[in-house]
Amino acid sequence: MLRKIWEHRADYAYVLPAIAVMLVVIAYPIYYTIDLSFFNTPPGLQLRDKTFVGFNNYTTILTSAVFWKVTWNTLIWTVGSTVISFVLGFAAALALHRDFFGRGVLRAILIIPWVISAVAASYIWKWIYHSDFGIIGAVLVGLGLADRPPNFIDSVSTVLPSLIVVNIWREFPFAMIMMMAGLQTVPDQLLRAAKVDGANAWQRFWHVTFPHLSNVSTVTILLLAVANFNSFIIPWIMTGGGPSNASHIWITHIYELAFGRQRWGVASAYSVLLFIILMTLGYFYVRALSGNDRRDEGA
Amino acid sequence: MSTIAETSRRGQAHRRMRIDGWRWGGRIFLVFMLLYTALPMAWMLITSIKSGFAAMQFPPQWWPDQPTLASYQKLLDPQNSVGQDFLRFFWNSLYVSAATTVLSVIVAVPAAYAFSRFTFPGRNFLFFTVLLRNMFPAVIFLVPLFILMRAIGLVNTHGSLVLTYLTFGLPLAIWLLKGFYDNIPVQLEQAARIDGATRFQAFILIVMPLSTPGIIATAIYSFIGAWNEYIYAYTFLSKNEQLTLPVGIQRFFSENTTDFPGLMAASFMMSVPVVVLFLVLQRYFVRALTEGAVKH
Amino acid sequence: MAHVVLKDLVKTYGSFKAVNEVSLTVNDGEFVALVGPSGCGKTTTLNLIAGLIPITSGDIVIGDQVVNDLDPKDRDIAMVFQNYALYPQKSVYMNLAFPLQMRRLPKAEIDKKVREAARVLDMTQLLERKPRELSGGQQQRVALGRALVRDPAVFLMDEPLSNLDAKLRVQMRSEIKRFHQDLKATIVYVTHDQLEAVTMADRMAVMNGGYLQQYDSPAQVFAHPANMFVASFVGSPAMSLIPLEASTANGDTVLKSAEGWSLGLSQLNARKAQRATGRKVVLGARHSTIKLHKSAVPGAIPAKAYTVEPTGDVTFVQALLSGAIVNISVSPNIAVKPDEQIWLEFDQERMHLFDGETEMALEAA
Ligand SMILES: Nc1ncnc2c1ncn2[C@@H]1O[C@H](COP(=O)(O)OP(=O)(O)OP(=O)(O)O)[C@@H](O)[C@H]1O
Ligand SMILES: [Mg+2]
Repeated sequence: MLRKIWEHRADYAYVLPAIAVMLVVIAYPIYYTIDLSFFNTPPGLQLRDKTFVGFNNYTTILTSAVFWKVTWNTLIWTVGSTVISFVLGFAAALALHRDFFGRGVLRAILIIPWVISAVAASYIWKWIYHSDFGIIGAVLVGLGLADRPPNFIDSVSTVLPSLIVVNIWREFPFAMIMMMAGLQTVPDQLLRAAKVDGANAWQRFWHVTFPHLSNVSTVTILLLAVANFNSFIIPWIMTGGGPSNASHIWITHIYELAFGRQRWGVASAYSVLLFIILMTLGYFYVRALSGNDRRDEGA
Repeated sequence: MSTIAETSRRGQAHRRMRIDGWRWGGRIFLVFMLLYTALPMAWMLITSIKSGFAAMQFPPQWWPDQPTLASYQKLLDPQNSVGQDFLRFFWNSLYVSAATTVLSVIVAVPAAYAFSRFTFPGRNFLFFTVLLRNMFPAVIFLVPLFILMRAIGLVNTHGSLVLTYLTFGLPLAIWLLKGFYDNIPVQLEQAARIDGATRFQAFILIVMPLSTPGIIATAIYSFIGAWNEYIYAYTFLSKNEQLTLPVGIQRFFSENTTDFPGLMAASFMMSVPVVVLFLVLQRYFVRALTEGAVKH
Repeated sequence: MAHVVLKDLVKTYGSFKAVNEVSLTVNDGEFVALVGPSGCGKTTTLNLIAGLIPITSGDIVIGDQVVNDLDPKDRDIAMVFQNYALYPQKSVYMNLAFPLQMRRLPKAEIDKKVREAARVLDMTQLLERKPRELSGGQQQRVALGRALVRDPAVFLMDEPLSNLDAKLRVQMRSEIKRFHQDLKATIVYVTHDQLEAVTMADRMAVMNGGYLQQYDSPAQVFAHPANMFVASFVGSPAMSLIPLEASTANGDTVLKSAEGWSLGLSQLNARKAQRATGRKVVLGARHSTIKLHKSAVPGAIPAKAYTVEPTGDVTFVQALLSGAIVNISVSPNIAVKPDEQIWLEFDQERMHLFDGETEMALEAA
C-alpha cells in the first residue's frame, strides 16, 4: 500500500491544493464543532472559560418545544420548495425543449432569478409582500378579493408558504437548466424509434425521455433538497424567523443561538445533529453523483 | 375501403388535437412562469424610479407619475456618503469575487484532471470528500471558522472570505470539470506526449483548451456564488469599509428603513453584473452541464 | 531508423496479466504486424513500447538504448492511434506542426516540413481545415502525416485502418506499404485483421491472451502454424480442425474418427502422429487442400454436404465431419447440393497435425 502511494506520489500533487483548502475549511471545523458541543460557553466567545457538560446540550435541544417546531418548519420548507421547484423547472424545460420564436429570450428571463442574489430577492419580495404598500395586497383589494391587504409575512399562518414562494422563484430555474441539459442528451434515435413503434407524445415521454432522465432528476432533486435544507438568507432577511418562530428553520435557528444569544455549545450540538442528518442525505447524494462515474485509466 | 380511410383520418385528427393540447398547455404554462418570474423584477425596476413619497401610496401607482433616477444618482455619486459607501461595497464585492474565481479555477482544474485520469490510492475517498463539502451549510462551519480566522488574524479581511468561498465553489467545479476530462480521449494526450510534449505540456496545450467551456462555467459559478454570498460576509466582516454588497446594502438601508426606491435601485445595481455575466456566457454553462455533468 | 527489442515484457493490471513475457526483436527497417483477437494485449504492448504506460517487468530496447524509464517524448517514436487522436481544436496544419513545435524547430523549417508531408500525402488543400471537417480517410492521412513529419526512429501504428470502409482500407493498405518501402522505416503495426498482417508485414507476431503465440514471416505462419490458435486465426476462411484419435492398425499409424472411419497417413505425418498414439490428435486442413469427390475414391472420407455458398470464382462447401465443420473450396462448375453424399480427400503434404491436449503442432520424431 505504502509502495503504491509512493509510486503515485506525482498524482497527488494535482489534488493537493484542493485537499489542503478542504482540510482547513472542513475537517478542522467539523472536529471543532463536535468538541464544542459538549461544552457550555460563556457569552463573548471567551472559550478558555468553557465548561464540560457532557450530553447536556443535546438533551436541552431534544426536550425543547422550539426544536420540534423548527424541525417541522424545516421539513415543510425543504420538501415544499424542492418538490415544487423541481416540477416547475422540469415542466418549463419540457415546454422550452421544442424550438419556437423567442425561446432564447424567454429562457434567459426565466433563469435570471437564479442568478441574482438571494439578498436582492428577499428585498424585492419583502416589498411585494409589504403589508401597507405591497403590490399583491393592492391587487387582491383591487379585485375585491380582500377588504384590506393581507399580512403575508407578519402572520403565523401565511409566513412559511409566502417564503416558500420566494424560494421557488429563485430555485426553479436551476431545476430547469439541469433538466434542459438532460433533455439534450436524450438520443433522437430512441425517440424516433418509439415514434415508429407507434408511441404517442405522452408514451414517448414516459417510456423514453423520463427513464433517460432518471439520473439527472435524482441529482437535481438532491442538490435542491440539500440547498433548501441549508437555506438561510431568505428567512433571515425577510422575517428573521418570526413571527414567533413561525418561519425559523434549522439554520436560522442555529445562527440565532450562536451569534444572537451566544450559546455556542447548544448551537454546536445542533450543528452535530444537522451533520448526522446531512451525512445520511449525503450518502445518497454521493451515490447519485458518482452513479455515472466509473472509469479507470491505466496511465 | 371508405370506412378505413375515415377511421384513419379521424385517428389523425385525434392525434393532432392531442399534440396541440400538449403544446397549448406548454404555452400557457410558460406564460404563467414568465409572469411569475418577470413581474417581481419589473416591480423592482418600477419602484426604483419612484420618489420615496410616490412609493408609499395605496393603491400603488402602477407607473410612477413622475419617474426619477434620483435613487440611482444617489447610489453612484461619490460625493454623497451613501454613494461613497455603495461604490466601495461594489468594489469590495468585485475584488473578492474575482479573487475567488481565479483561485477556484487554479485549484479545481488540476484536481478535476487528476480525479479523471489517475488511479491513485484513496482517489475515490478524496473525490467523495470533496463532493460532500456541498452538503454542509455555512452555519456548521461558521463558529469554528470564525474562531479559526480570529486565530490566524484573518477576521475583518477579505482573505477570510476568499478562502471560505473557495471551498463551496470547488466541489461543483471539480465535479463539472471531471465530467469534461472524462470525455476527452486519453489518446489525445498520449499523442501529444509522443509528439514530444511532457505530461504537463500535454495538459496545458491539448486538454485545457478542450475544456474551456467547463472552465468558463466553473468561473461563472464561482463568481456568482462569491458575489451573492451573505452569511460569511455578514459574520466575518464588521468594519464598514470592508463590507461586500449583500451585507452592506442591508446595513445602509436599516438606517433609513423606509427608502424602498433606494433599496430597489441598489438591488438592481447589485444584480446587474452577475446577470449580464451569466447571460453573456450562459451557453457555456448549459454546454458544460450537458457535456460534463449530465452525461450518461 | 533503429531496431526494437522486447525482452520478457510483462504488464499486469492488479492480478490480471495483460502482457505476458513477450520477447521479440524488430529489425531495423522491418515491418512487423502485431495481430490477435480483441483484448489480447496488442494495444497494451504498443503503449509499453511507446512509454505511455509503465512496464511491470522486462526490458525494452530502441536503437541501442534501454528505454524502460524514458518519457515517450524522449524515445524518438511516432504513433498513429486507432481513433487518430487528432487535436480537435487545431487545424490540419497545426496538427502536423505540433510535434515539430514541441521540438522547438525554427518556424521556417516547420513550415517546410509540414508542407512537404502534406504534399506527400496529397492533402495540401486540406491544411486549413479542422479535423471534424475531414472524412475518415482524410483524418487517417493527417494522423499518418503527423507521424511522418518527425522522421522518427520507429513508427507505432494501432489499427490505423480499422475505422475505414473496405475499399478505402485496401487503398490505404497499399499506401502505408509503399510508405514503408520508400522510407525503409521500422514499423510496428497493430491489427486484429489477419489479412492486413499477412499482406503488409515482413513478419507477424500473433498474440493471444497476453502471450506471444508465434513470430515469423506471414508465409511461415501460414504454412507452419505453431499451434491450433494460430492455425485457426490466420487464413480465411479459417482452417478446419477435426478432432480425431491416433491409433495403430496393422503396424500403420492412422487417425481414427469416433464416426468409425479412419484416415491413413503419409510417412512423415505418421511419424508426427506416433508421438501422440492413443491420444487426441487434431487434424487441420485449409479449404484449398481438401479435394471434394462426388463418388467414393480410395483414401477419401465419406461426408455430407451441409451448406453450399457460391461466391462467383469459387464455391465454398461446408461439410460435417466427426462433429466438426469442414470448409472446402471447389470450382464453381462442380455442382454440389446440400445433404448430398460427398467424399473428402486430404492433401498429406499440406495437412497439419496438432496434439489434442497441448494444442501445439506435432513435430516428426
Ligand atoms: N487500464 C487498464 N486496466 C485494467 N485492464 C486493462 C487496462 N487496459 C487494458 N486492460 C485489459 O488488458 C487487456 C488487453 O487490452 P488491449 O487494449 O491491449 O487489447 P487489444 O489487443 O488492443 O484489443 P483491441 O483489438 O480490442 O483493441 C484487455 O483484457 C483489457 O481489458
Ligand atoms: Mg487495441
